[in-house]
Amino acid sequence: MFELCTDVSNLKELKQGDFSAYDAIYLGDFSCPEYPNNFSSHPALLEEGLQLVKSRGQKAYLRLYAVPSNHDLPWVAEVIDAALKLPFDALEVHNLGLLRVLREKGCKLPIHLGVFGNLYTHETAKVLKGYGVTRVYPNPELSLKEIAYIADNAPIEVLVPVHGKIPLVISETCFIMEHCDATKQPADGSCSYACTKDHWLKRGRNDGSQADWSLKDIGRMTLSGKDLCMVEYPENLLEMGFRVFYVQNKGEAPGYAGKVGAIYRAALERAAAGQEAADVAPALTALTDCSQEGLCNGYYFEGAGQRYFGRV
Amino acid sequence: MAIMMAPGGTPEMARAVIDEGADAVYVGVIGWSRRGAQDELNDDQIRETIDYAAARGKEVRIVVNTLPSSIELPMFLERVQRYAGWGARGFMISDIGAMRMVKEALPNVHIHTSVGCGITNYEDVKFLGDIGASYVVLPYRLTVEEIREIKRHGKAGIEVFLFKTPSGGKICPGKCNMSSYFSFRRWLDAEGKDHFFGSASRGGDCLRVCQTEWKFNVNDIDIDAPMTIKTNPALWLEELPDYLAAGVDCLKVPGRDRSTPLVRDITRVYRRAVDLILGSDRPDLSGFAGELEILRGRWRVERNKRDNRLLSEAEKESRRALVAAI
Repeated sequence: MFELCTDVSNLKELKQGDFSAYDAIYLGDFSCPEYPNNFSSHPALLEEGLQLVKSRGQKAYLRLYAVPSNHDLPWVAEVIDAALKLPFDALEVHNLGLLRVLREKGCKLPIHLGVFGNLYTHETAKVLKGYGVTRVYPNPELSLKEIAYIADNAPIEVLVPVHGKIPLVISETCFIMEHCDATKQPADGSCSYACTKDHWLKRGRNDGSQADWSLKDIGRMTLSGKDLCMVEYPENLLEMGFRVFYVQNKGEAPGYAGKVGAIYRAALERAAAGQEAADVAPALTALTDCSQEGLCNGYYFEGAGQRYFGRV
Repeated sequence: MAIMMAPGGTPEMARAVIDEGADAVYVGVIGWSRRGAQDELNDDQIRETIDYAAARGKEVRIVVNTLPSSIELPMFLERVQRYAGWGARGFMISDIGAMRMVKEALPNVHIHTSVGCGITNYEDVKFLGDIGASYVVLPYRLTVEEIREIKRHGKAGIEVFLFKTPSGGKICPGKCNMSSYFSFRRWLDAEGKDHFFGSASRGGDCLRVCQTEWKFNVNDIDIDAPMTIKTNPALWLEELPDYLAAGVDCLKVPGRDRSTPLVRDITRVYRRAVDLILGSDRPDLSGFAGELEILRGRWRVERNKRDNRLLSEAEKESRRALVAAI
């Protein structure tokens, strides 16, 4: 009826977290190859991760590094070679060059286009279909109407994020390492894993002189400060024909994906069964409690990404 | 031989850079390029610019590098066909679906991929070449070695900006939506074209939110050191002989949103420098150092003025949205 999916970066998080609400898991952190034991950059860990997900009756997709430079292409090719020997349900690419590499390697697995693939139009979706792409994650700037148009006019599945911080910009280097106290960094320039702490970019707090803006930085990716939240709209999303929903988990505390996933599973199942919508206030309160900077609707209703247009 | 393209943010600027020796001028179409309307041309101005350039043996490239809505694509193609009919020889495009449409409808025009494509490696260049790109513009931050490697692998022409940022950092343009996250306003014009205030990708200005002072907060503790999120690009010249030797096919003078006198002077200096390099085995560019430094200073002044204006627009729009929501 529908698929609810989320992401997990490494084996430790996969083993410790509660992902029972999900039908499918995107394995790997596409933004940072240095993230500890990241599936996206550790081919030796792929099989165990894949088996664990499959043993839970879920689909497993592998995320590939989103912004490889020339010098990254050889190691990414090794990850691809390892993945192609395993029964993944799909590979996710963000980089069109890697899409071409997959075709050159004769990839028979379905391919998903990730959020940094810059998908804005159904015509682009058609071009990508010719390269084996079966699912696209539209650019977050698109409204629900624009996403529905793509789904209706291209022979491709569309993923709709329903909750979590919005990926806004990706980086080739680590912003946290570049701005942390140099005396606390390893002398050889290697990663200190400072991203295990919460890093926020904030502006205009408390003095009233500026607009209050916030962003969350996880090193090589900057996320929205607020959490996208669509828990008020499961009926609308299903009515528009969407069937693949995603909770963005990267950069969140342990437990986030479990709590959020359970709320959306219940809301979507209720809507899919045609049952009357329950009082959404408790769910909204629980989701607000999981977010430090509050909730937003992203660009879905044709406004700035940080706005919340909610009904409650 | 590499061609030099320069910006035409206004008809006056377009004429000035042609007169200063640019081989081609690039002009944005209102609502269809990654700049605000004040730095774009209407159809009458585009036609006049094409005629002005053609009379002097020069070319015009049309910037239609927004990432459009699906429903705008027929309008997009109609526009491109109209300008091609007037004599435009090339188009700068970001959306790969739009690229393929143009290639199928107008197989003989040049397609320049836009910096909005956000490429990071030579496989990207091959992909875009496969789709039909004649020139692939590289991001501001690549080294000469990276460009050489891309040129060696790629099958499209290589285009570089004559300004750059240090390597690394956030990938902008091409992979950034920070501006529209904070401030985004959308309206339809009389022809049904969507305009997006606050999103460069969608055809309005980027409101430069990366250039405001941010505080870094770690585990709820503010680090008391104001910072900006992204480094600004600066004009460069010293490595130009290496770039040309690496096989760069197109040099792009930046500045559609700068003043005509500044862009005219930059074009003049680069024209002289390129001619010197092409005419000598051991070009000495030291004579340009003083002029370049002055141009960099003028660039910074104009950029800061523009950034401040856009940032205040972002704040205003952000507050307006907040009031509307309440």
